[in-house]
Amino acid sequence: MITRWAVRRMLWWLDGRLRIASVARKALAKVFPDHWTFMLGEIALYAFVSLVATGVFLTLFFEPSPAETVYTGVYGPLRGARASAAYTSTVALSWDVRAGLLMRQTHHWSALVFLSAIVAHLSRIFLTAAFRKPREPNWLIGLTMFLLGIATGFAGYSVPDDLLSGTGLRIASATLLSVPVAGPWAGFLLFGGEFPGTSIIPRLYILHVLLLPGAIAALIGAHLAILVRQKHSHFPGPGRNQDNVVGSKMWPTYAFRSLALLCAVFAVTFGLGGLVQINPVWVWGPFRPSAATSPAQPDWFLAWVEGALRLFPPVEFRVFGYLVPAPFLPGVVMPGLTFLVLYLWPWLDRRISGGRGRHQVLDRPRDSPARVAVWSWAVAFYGLLLLASSDDVVARYFEIPVFGIVRTMRAVVLVVPVLVAIVAYALAKALRADPGATLLDLRWRQVAAAFRRRRPEARAERPAASGGEEAGA
Amino acid sequence: MPPPTQRRTTARRLAARRILAAAPLLAVPLLAVPLLTVPPAAPPAGPSAPAASAAPSPAPISRGRELYGISCASCHGQRGEGTQYGPSLKGVGAASADFQLSTGRMPLPNPRALPRRREPAFSRRDIDALVSYVASFGPGPAVPAVGRGNVRQGLAIYLRDCAACHSSTGEGGALPAGRYAPSLTASDPVQIAEAVRLGPGPMPKFGRGTLSDDALNSVIAYIRSIPRTSGAGGWPLGGVGPVTEGAIAWVLGLGLLVLVIRALGKRAR
Repeated sequence: MITRWAVRRMLWWLDGRLRIASVARKALAKVFPDHWTFMLGEIALYAFVSLVATGVFLTLFFEPSPAETVYTGVYGPLRGARASAAYTSTVALSWDVRAGLLMRQTHHWSALVFLSAIVAHLSRIFLTAAFRKPREPNWLIGLTMFLLGIATGFAGYSVPDDLLSGTGLRIASATLLSVPVAGPWAGFLLFGGEFPGTSIIPRLYILHVLLLPGAIAALIGAHLAILVRQKHSHFPGPGRNQDNVVGSKMWPTYAFRSLALLCAVFAVTFGLGGLVQINPVWVWGPFRPSAATSPAQPDWFLAWVEGALRLFPPVEFRVFGYLVPAPFLPGVVMPGLTFLVLYLWPWLDRRISGGRGRHQVLDRPRDSPARVAVWSWAVAFYGLLLLASSDDVVARYFEIPVFGIVRTMRAVVLVVPVLVAIVAYALAKALRADPGATLLDLRWRQVAAAFRRRRPEARAERPAASGGEEAGA
Repeated sequence: MPPPTQRRTTARRLAARRILAAAPLLAVPLLAVPLLTVPPAAPPAGPSAPAASAAPSPAPISRGRELYGISCASCHGQRGEGTQYGPSLKGVGAASADFQLSTGRMPLPNPRALPRRREPAFSRRDIDALVSYVASFGPGPAVPAVGRGNVRQGLAIYLRDCAACHSSTGEGGALPAGRYAPSLTASDPVQIAEAVRLGPGPMPKFGRGTLSDDALNSVIAYIRSIPRTSGAGGWPLGGVGPVTEGAIAWVLGLGLLVLVIRALGKRAR
């Protein structure tokens, strides 16, 4: 009773000054589609909230300094040892600060979940062609957030100055140096001299806690503002057209669903943080340029680059007299091309689908087998690169010679994704012929029929329907 | 007959030359070369009492001779002179015999098998009998004694000299040619000391000039302390770092959340 009165008075007070009533009415009436895949991006959003919440806690104890200090905490093997303040304060966060290890681990798990949710969200957008006009701006913003997320993640992985991340930073520095002409300049600028130097930890720290997350937060704001302005897209269905959105209203339905998801994301990230160890820096030990630990990998969101670096043959060549060192093609060109194609995809896709108009209604993935094929190729290719980056772990636990894995994977990453793409193409085509079917309903002859019909693009949309009759006959 | 070190070097060179194809051929020279390979699911070492301190049985030499005749002589020869299937044991000393037998690397299940860590085939008493019998073939390194060490000093030495192959976590890591540095979590102090001093398989030998007894004791103390602290923070996921962490983030982290949104949202129709 009193609460309701107080809330009402406060809202009156605010409305009298800010005129929020009309905005709030519109916001509370915003319609969200009900399909579950529309919540993948929300997982990323809430993982970001979890990242910021735990990250603020960590900044209170972490010292981003390469200055040599003596560790004096409770972790026995390191007590009295000299290491950088960055390292000793991270060990202190893990052993001496109350709830510090929980926060550190939750922060790291949130980062991994944040980026995997972004990839899942990106996949949904890609497969349903939600990037088409008018949503190209949000596609570009989303990709930029993905890129910034990877950069933030790498900076965060590197700042504790432990033996594992120091090795990663060394690889990053070598990759940067491999850029012809500009690389050494950029490398010396970033590191403030030779690797490792004394500047890189504070610089990565400011990138990690201020510049990059600030940019991500600003882009999240833009992403959501554009989403509200353009309204949600939705899947085809009865009563759904280019001018409406079918779903649940923010109030009284969707707000609670979203709140439940927020709680679930926190439950998962804190659950993992409390129960599953991640990045035990006290075990890795402090970074010394002369030491190493093995196996050594970066976090998964950069492991695809690491996989390419491990697989790519060590070839060096000269262009106009300038040496192009071996890491340049797999470490710089391959990721660069990956993101270039992603950024240009809305325009490349027009050439496949031919659609230039506005789209409120999404494609189903099967509507464009070519798109499904491209996506499947990418999942297989980058997935296999992740596997290649784990070659030493695979070699160790499956007792396979590590160089044998490298030689085999060189062929596998080129061949298998193409095969996967062909199979996915055929399956999507067979499904397109039978809109009511799911993957499990497919019969072999439907797939075979999809294989038999050559050149689908030439006959555009029509053969899909006739294909259904053929398959059914 | 060449001294043990030289045999090892030769075998290693051989191994480097024909990495995979010649595995059966290699097996014979490699019998001299315990490969320090342990299957991941290796059972923990059995008895951990140091060999040196075990009480001698009434007639250890005769018991040792008897067991040697049953389990070892077919490859290593009746008096340890070696055969086409196995190297000579003259001069390998008690340390080598104790390492091979107490870690279950010897006896091999067949002459072509690679020696790797297994449940020991003999009881502690029988191992001691065999060790003293093999030691009687000729003078060689005795089983090292392990004393108390300084964990802090051990950490620094371990990261400098051991972590590059055995991993900071002590879980081991891959080496070229299908070999790997084994996990140290199941090794007892004497076995670690023997491995460091003898350098079995691809492992480098650390003599007293490189690593003093004090330093060795400290490294062992640190290795023994790892399991007490490496589990802080929860399930350590095998101690291999970001590979398993990434898998857990996708499967358990995102997987659980996808189940949640499947429950919160609806299917398209």
